[in-house]
Amino acid sequence: MNAVIRAEQLTKYYGASRGISGLSLEVEAGEVFGFLGPNGAGKTTTIRLMLDLIRPSSGRIELFGLDARRDSVEIRRRVGYLPGDLHLYERLTARELLRYFASLRGLDGIGEGKSLAERFELELDRPIRSLSKGNRQKVGLVQAFLHRPDLLLFDEPTAGLDPLVQITFNELLREVAGAGGTVFLSSHILSEVQRLADRVAIIREGSLELVEAVETLRARAFVRVEATFAKPPPKRAFAGLPGVRELERKGPVVLFALEGPADPLIKALARYEVLALDSHEADLEDFFLTLYREGANGAR
Amino acid sequence: MLASVFAKTLRDRLRAFRWWCLGTFAFVSLYASVYPSISGKASLNKLVKDYPEALKGFIGFGGNLDFVSGPGYLGSEVFSFWAPIVLTAVAIAAGSTALAGEEERGTLDLLLSLPVSRTRCLLEKLAALVCEALALAFVLWILLVIASYADGMGVSAGNLAAAVFGVLLFALDFGLLALLVGAATGRRGLAIGISATLAVAADVLNALAPLASWLNDVRLASPFYYYSHGDPLRHGLDYLDTLVLLAIVVVFAALAPLLFRRRDLASP
Repeated sequence: MNAVIRAEQLTKYYGASRGISGLSLEVEAGEVFGFLGPNGAGKTTTIRLMLDLIRPSSGRIELFGLDARRDSVEIRRRVGYLPGDLHLYERLTARELLRYFASLRGLDGIGEGKSLAERFELELDRPIRSLSKGNRQKVGLVQAFLHRPDLLLFDEPTAGLDPLVQITFNELLREVAGAGGTVFLSSHILSEVQRLADRVAIIREGSLELVEAVETLRARAFVRVEATFAKPPPKRAFAGLPGVRELERKGPVVLFALEGPADPLIKALARYEVLALDSHEADLEDFFLTLYREGANGAR
Repeated sequence: MLASVFAKTLRDRLRAFRWWCLGTFAFVSLYASVYPSISGKASLNKLVKDYPEALKGFIGFGGNLDFVSGPGYLGSEVFSFWAPIVLTAVAIAAGSTALAGEEERGTLDLLLSLPVSRTRCLLEKLAALVCEALALAFVLWILLVIASYADGMGVSAGNLAAAVFGVLLFALDFGLLALLVGAATGRRGLAIGISATLAVAADVLNALAPLASWLNDVRLASPFYYYSHGDPLRHGLDYLDTLVLLAIVVVFAALAPLLFRRRDLASP
């Protein structure tokens, strides 16, 4: 029972518009927890509720067993945060900004800032206004790691980072988790979360769809095949093929989800005139498509 | 200079503050250089006697219509017009930028993810506002003391201090109102709009009061009345008036954290 984050029926409305509704989840110490959902699903709302930047309409949320509202300052002492929409003090240099944040956290100098900046190859003495988006994001990451926090809250952290920096970022996440720290990471990219996280929660339109280990999620992965026919094939032409589900149909274009060998599908396709064939690993939207298919079938 | 929210806020304001000081120096020099050519010309006062009542309200200070004596000149030129505008502008600029400015720029999100309570953040920014206004008031006072001595205006340093202190409190009333509106709404434009409008209204209300008897009671709601009616340039500090101006500051300072604490911060 040592949940680092515990949300119970957490609900947030902005006036009449939905933020999140009835969200319950637990994140354990030492795990990298992926929070996956399309833009506007409520990921940022959830993270800002944890930091007491906004207040829930109902329900409650605890971090380290402390109340997010009442014990907010104590919680923030132990949390590192990277906002999804990062705004820094433009006139300061990165070093000045880190010194400012370090002293507000009660640290000497810039804490871990110097070694972190070296790992990210961040120039500390240039004014932030002259930095590229990627370099600003590095400043944001360094300030989040500055005080060796027990919990990292990252809202879309890899936006604007080049692949080499992403590798450094992944290493740091692993180090934090290895040392018993916890990472809560939001993203709208399925493959990113699969690469980084141990467990994944999927949120859509403010509600939690599922929480699963990444391994389990990977087992449900499929290949997305899109076939364009010369003319629309008959309605039930591909029914009952093993490992094949028809997801969508738009005139002559049919979208399949394929699990396992491709042979049955290829043989079935060959009975019609195929103009184009495209296939790639499923992304989040495809994943949702199958999720809802299953939901609809289950209800029947 | 980056050890606290207070220090950081002062540092941010320093650039503009130097210009305000320079402007203050330029204006006081101008007023001081004009005074010798007006001094002792009693005909000027006679001329003003025939002005419409509505106009007299704006140019007189502390109920006096006298422009040729030292206190009369400083009252009508500096303290009923220019000094309150400058100090109030500085206070409103600082008050509206303090929280609403950071919130609109999106930096407040990150600042309040650090272990700094909202109340502490607000109070440190409030302290920086008071320091900035106090520093400019001090510069104004020094310059006026020099001008009064050089031109032989015959206004003591103590009475000048009383008048400058009055302007400072008047300005802080509206600077803190801007801070309060910004803290309650997160909107900088609204904070400036409301506080600047009310500051002007306070002046107009006080100036027009002699025109109608019913206005005479309403003027008691105007901070400008408490700042000016005791004529501090001649009589020094009026403790009761000062207390009223100070009470407004204290009420706004107490109210602002309550409104700031209970609110959702805007997403950047």
